[in-house]
Amino acid sequence: MSEKPGGEEAAGRNAEGAAEAPAQAVRERRASYLGFVAHEVRNPLSTALWSAELLARMAPEERSGARGEKLVAMCLRSVGRVRRLVEDHFLAERLDAGGLPLRPEPLALAELVEAAVARGPAGAGVETELEAGLAVRADRMLCERTLECLFAAAGASGAPVRVRGRREGARAAIRVKGDPPRQGALEDPQRGSPSDARGRSLALPAARRAAAAAGGALSVEGDEYALVLPLDEGPSGSGGP
Amino acid sequence: MPARQKPDRPLVLVVDDDPDILEAICDVLVAEGYRVARARQGQEALERVGEERPGAILLDLMMPVMDGVAFAEALRARTGGEPIPIVVISADGNPQRAVAVGAQSFLAKPFDIEALLARVAVATSAPGRAPAP
Repeated sequence: MSEKPGGEEAAGRNAEGAAEAPAQAVRERRASYLGFVAHEVRNPLSTALWSAELLARMAPEERSGARGEKLVAMCLRSVGRVRRLVEDHFLAERLDAGGLPLRPEPLALAELVEAAVARGPAGAGVETELEAGLAVRADRMLCERTLECLFAAAGASGAPVRVRGRREGARAAIRVKGDPPRQGALEDPQRGSPSDARGRSLALPAARRAAAAAGGALSVEGDEYALVLPLDEGPSGSGGP
Repeated sequence: MPARQKPDRPLVLVVDDDPDILEAICDVLVAEGYRVARARQGQEALERVGEERPGAILLDLMMPVMDGVAFAEALRARTGGEPIPIVVISADGNPQRAVAVGAQSFLAKPFDIEALLARVAVATSAPGRAPAP
């Protein structure tokens, strides 16, 4: 083993330290994110298990009573929360890893919005103002999921949701307004971040990745969510001749 | 049918920001005959303690407005004398955090109903005892 002059050795150590620091920060951030996910899953998992256990202990005739109905509803709600969290977590993971096959296709924005509204909570009021014939070229599943997530976030308190869509250069710009986005809403939550009793804590960060994977971007502009997607450039698309 | 709350049974204060957790735990305790009070965060829990001193407190740690650690500190400052036994119920999974709030015991979510009832029985029958191992 050759000996380095003192100065060179120290410089080497400094360079290694400089390279290690960002990696360490990434590891800590990742651990904090996973800590948050574990916390978010454990709460609804608890209520799913308890409600199922209490139902199992009840006499059959009791299960159709008010307490039985309450426990069944709690069990379903809790499993739904776990499902949403797990789906959003793995969607984000797959998008990060580039492991999700995408199928870009021409999509009429009005139809996308309609489908996303239909997938969202029943009775949600979504008011639309879309430029006629506006079409994007993107993966349908990711687009519907992103829009559904935005409508759910903007309408979380029951506030009316307003969606505007128009052409901006080579992109379609979609603005979603309702409940104002909280600070850092699109970033990965970290340990100690606020919980969401509907299991949607990971939905907006996953939607941000989905928008990027679809060739667009999701951001917060003032009190609105701003989604941009590539215009469809085909002959029948809004971006065509 | 679940048992009704019995006036001679200890009052258990359940503190958790998750409405389903609150509902489920209170359901279990009421079915066992305990009286229950509930709070969604630490500040609200202090108000409940002011209304009636509970025999035990089931305490979540991560809550908005006032978390479990801040609540436990405020409770110690307020009550003095004989401490109210606290059982920490947390999804955090780290029992050291329960030690930090001076809890009698710790349950990591998701825990069994029987484990919950056993801890509550100990807490309500032996207030202020040394922490369980």
